[in-house]
Amino acid sequence: MEKEHGHGKHQYGMVIDLDKCTGCGTCMTACAAENNVSVRPDESDKQRSIAWMQLFKITNGKEFPHTEVSYFPRPCMHCNENGRGHHVSPCVSVCPPTATQLDLDTGIVSQIYTRCIGCRYCQAACPYKARYFNWWDGYFPKGKGLERYLSPEVSPRMRGVVEKCTFCHHRLMRAKTKAYAEGRREIEEGEYITACAEACPAQAITFGDLNNPKHKVSQLIKSPYAFRLLERLNTKPKVYYLSTKDWVRKMADNYLPGEFKPVTKIGG
Amino acid sequence: MSIEITRRNFIQFLVGCVAGIHATPLPWKLTDDIAIWTQNWPWVPVPPVGEFTHVNSVCRLCPGGCGIKVRKVDERAVKIEGRTDYPLNPGGICPVGMGGLQLLYDETLRFPGPMKRVGPRGAGEFANISWEEALKLLNDRIARLRKEGRPQALAAVDGNPRRSTMSVMVERLLRAVGSRNYLNIPGAEDLSSMVGELMQGTEAPVAFDLENADYILSFGCGLLEGWGAPGRVLNAWGLWRSEPFKGKVRVVQIESRASNTASKADQWVPIKPGTETALALGLAHVIIKERLHDTRFVNDYAFGFNNWRSGYGKERMGFKEMVLKQYSPMRVAYVTGLNPDQIVSLAKEFARAKAPVAIFGKGKGNLSGSLYEAMAVHSLNALVGNINRPGGALVPEPLPLSSLPEVIPDDAARRGLEQGRLDQAGSWRYPFTRSLVNNLTEAILSASESPVDTLLIFSSNPAYTLPDGGAFRKALGKIPFLVSFSPFRDETALMCDLILPDHTYLEKMDDVAWPPGLQYPLYGVSRPVVDPLYNTKHAGDVIIHLAKGLGQAVGSAFPWKNYEEVLKARAKGLYEAGGGLTRFEEGQTPAWKMVNKASGSRPGYKSFDDMWKQIKGGGLWYKPSPAERNWEGLFKTPTGKFEFFSSRIELAFSRAAEKRPLQAVLKSMGVQQTGDEACMPHYEEPRLNVDRSAFPLQMVPYEMINLASDWIPNPPYLYKSLFDTQLLKDDSFAEINPKTAAKYGLKQGDLVMVKSPKGEVRVRLNLFEGAMPGMVYLPMGFGHTAYDEFLRGKGANPNDIVHGPKDPLSGYPIWWITPVKLVKV
Ligand code: SF4
Ligand code: SF4
Ligand code: SF4
Repeated sequence: MEKEHGHGKHQYGMVIDLDKCTGCGTCMTACAAENNVSVRPDESDKQRSIAWMQLFKITNGKEFPHTEVSYFPRPCMHCNENGRGHHVSPCVSVCPPTATQLDLDTGIVSQIYTRCIGCRYCQAACPYKARYFNWWDGYFPKGKGLERYLSPEVSPRMRGVVEKCTFCHHRLMRAKTKAYAEGRREIEEGEYITACAEACPAQAITFGDLNNPKHKVSQLIKSPYAFRLLERLNTKPKVYYLSTKDWVRKMADNYLPGEFKPVTKIGG
Repeated sequence: MSIEITRRNFIQFLVGCVAGIHATPLPWKLTDDIAIWTQNWPWVPVPPVGEFTHVNSVCRLCPGGCGIKVRKVDERAVKIEGRTDYPLNPGGICPVGMGGLQLLYDETLRFPGPMKRVGPRGAGEFANISWEEALKLLNDRIARLRKEGRPQALAAVDGNPRRSTMSVMVERLLRAVGSRNYLNIPGAEDLSSMVGELMQGTEAPVAFDLENADYILSFGCGLLEGWGAPGRVLNAWGLWRSEPFKGKVRVVQIESRASNTASKADQWVPIKPGTETALALGLAHVIIKERLHDTRFVNDYAFGFNNWRSGYGKERMGFKEMVLKQYSPMRVAYVTGLNPDQIVSLAKEFARAKAPVAIFGKGKGNLSGSLYEAMAVHSLNALVGNINRPGGALVPEPLPLSSLPEVIPDDAARRGLEQGRLDQAGSWRYPFTRSLVNNLTEAILSASESPVDTLLIFSSNPAYTLPDGGAFRKALGKIPFLVSFSPFRDETALMCDLILPDHTYLEKMDDVAWPPGLQYPLYGVSRPVVDPLYNTKHAGDVIIHLAKGLGQAVGSAFPWKNYEEVLKARAKGLYEAGGGLTRFEEGQTPAWKMVNKASGSRPGYKSFDDMWKQIKGGGLWYKPSPAERNWEGLFKTPTGKFEFFSSRIELAFSRAAEKRPLQAVLKSMGVQQTGDEACMPHYEEPRLNVDRSAFPLQMVPYEMINLASDWIPNPPYLYKSLFDTQLLKDDSFAEINPKTAAKYGLKQGDLVMVKSPKGEVRVRLNLFEGAMPGMVYLPMGFGHTAYDEFLRGKGANPNDIVHGPKDPLSGYPIWWITPVKLVKV
């Protein structure tokens, strides 16, 4: 795998092992609970429902009894490039009021709700459909008491803005504050991990600094089974997947017949 | 747009608008219009800031009992996380547990205080009353029953797990009052206890050392759907796919549908639902024939493997002869729908593995199963001698909790206790079963006047969860007085006359006494994470209060001030047993590893009071114990051996036959076999007594990990994780094979009625290659008529149309094959 995380000092990223992923959806629930994502009475309208972490179900398309199902948990990919070699995410490059930015020091693609004008260009530009538009204010009817579980670390969104996975940016702040209070400039591996990675009961999600060779993520992405979604768009996502199943890896991109290369030799 | 991405369109879905990358149109004019959205913000809550703290506790939303850490801001709980300092679930939890705060804070899901019904049953119209008035109402009712000499007309249906202190309390209350009609909702754990009793001689459910096994043969266990203790099993799944286990552990799933477990397993063995027994015995056939069994175990430590002679010198058939004669791969292939080679190779692989384990308990294990089937599966563990060995099936000793002092019934109570149980559990008909809610239902429905006058309902929602075609709901209608202790406005509670709402699990102290299937004893205690939000009372305290109000005789059975004292009294036994630990540190050797070798750790407490302080402060008690014990003296069966041929079953038959012909006994028990087979695990095709030409298909309910289907309401967050081929607006989906659809001229998304002899439900169709042809799969957890706008009126409840006979010997309902037909709407 080519080196491509040289930009900033830290490049936070994620590796999701699809062999381990059970499709349980705890990551989705953890993300919604952590980030004050609103739940509406009808979440079956997938055009309107908001899920920063979204689970996709794929099947190998074979007939009974050779059918297999697998899952793709999809957070924001925190792309490093726009597909044309520029060091800017596809969404960032189209946002008129600069409401979304690629942070050079962390690699995190942020979203500033108060700046967002709701034009939804970023949504159109994101090849991974990771961005969601708020058609309504969050669903917190008076007297229902739902607002009581909201976390003050993440501001609830209002109608008319776009939201998405932030790599739980507030958790980075939390870890930094703690480190500074203890007189440290740097945070250790594991001090900053996302809510989804922390919650996964099968330990399928690993989070860390792709630029730090000691971090588990930077070792995992060297696996011959590591890949990214739509790799050939050259958006340089910082979310990687692992799967030993050819049919799963094949489905991660638009391969032409004969173009997909299965892993034949397993090494470092 | 479909969110369930298929092979063809997964990528197309993602790149649908990929043009945006290459050319960016910036129609500035449009932004003007859109900005109007943003100038119109009515109400967005601003969560108050405050001091961050966290409270360690235990999740009690399922019997699994994960360790949880709840983040708080001042008095508000804002997030539930898994505890890394808990041995069961190091860090992770399931989606239901993750969404628990919605159950605490969604006010419209809950009862704000004690209430009495004012509208018609089920309408949910209640009036607030005081606790004093509420308790007096119930008190008077019970006192009257005792005075009238029919205390047995008080009954309770309880969903608390068997070993829990709450279940002990409810049963105790009934006993002190004078009623034997305590019914616990039956699940896989009860089945497992029966297997333990019949084959191993100890009532403790069989435990499985999954983490140390290298071959897991699962007979329909939803390992990824919430089976056993889900926090533990999902963690084990991750371990099996990590170094050093990666590639060395094989999971084989036997199930008719490509569930998550089946798909993610190393091998999926699809068989016709309900034929698991035949397959297990077919595997036994091959193992014995190929001499792959553990001869030392079956010859020296097992009874009934070889043929044997009874006291009268009569030759009796043993397990070996039975399976060799009756379960050839050819015959089993015919029954199960597999081919004979598959059966042979599966059997060889299982027997040749280093630490193979065969496990049972359908789906999540919330519902009952089949006794002969569970015995057949467990006989595979015995055949390969993997009993009480690392990676095998364990014979656990009971959790050493102290027993509470004996209840001394007064005269009034004694008269009631002389009456038999209404569900006939434990009678000659159902000698090994401890409760049969389905039989209680029958008893009520068949009587002109309900034999139950007052029914208490604890931690369960039987009007929704029982797979009985709606029969229990009808029975409820006949019972004069219904009392719910549920904190939630569930279907059953809405039918009740009196509501005495309990706290939710985040507001109270309660115990988790050994999560199901775990290989080492563990006792956890939840503690109040927040103060009770509403005017609710701990059901344990209510029982104590109630008992005291019923006079000296009943009250003396409850000599405690409050429920916490009861917990403490029971926990004393843990201290006395010695050697348990109360702390688990992150990064410590996993508790399942210590199962291999006796742990050298020191307890870390000085006295019982010290230990109790640690346990109740969000701690726990556990005792890693070496698995490798001698088989000598292990089995407490009448023969002192592991029994392939159950002498207890035989004894039960002959006792019952003292008063009536054996044929009649077997018929009443639903056992078709009349020979020696009846005392051994054997396969019988259930008699459906239905015209199959009118109902040509079979409905099989299935469970999902991201949809609560038990008595706990589904946390609304979880609806985000459902696909729009599982729930679309108000319709849930049935999964059928495209071939079945083609046969009946049905298409993806069609609205159909699924009709059974019991009734019909309306669903949409999802064509799924992973569905066995001829089957109709309905998800459990939809079709609520209670709760709030998040849950109510969404989809269909398969329980409403379940139709089937009883499982032989156990008497549990057979819910996994209902004859149905599909009619397009
Ligand atoms: S929590 Fe883990 S196992 Fe569950 S769906 Fe997410 S990544 Fe997969
Ligand atoms: S990183 Fe945080 S924001 Fe992103 S999907 Fe995971 S939990 Fe959600
Ligand atoms: S598995 Fe059971 S105990 Fe664990 S979090 Fe889920 S509901 Fe709670």
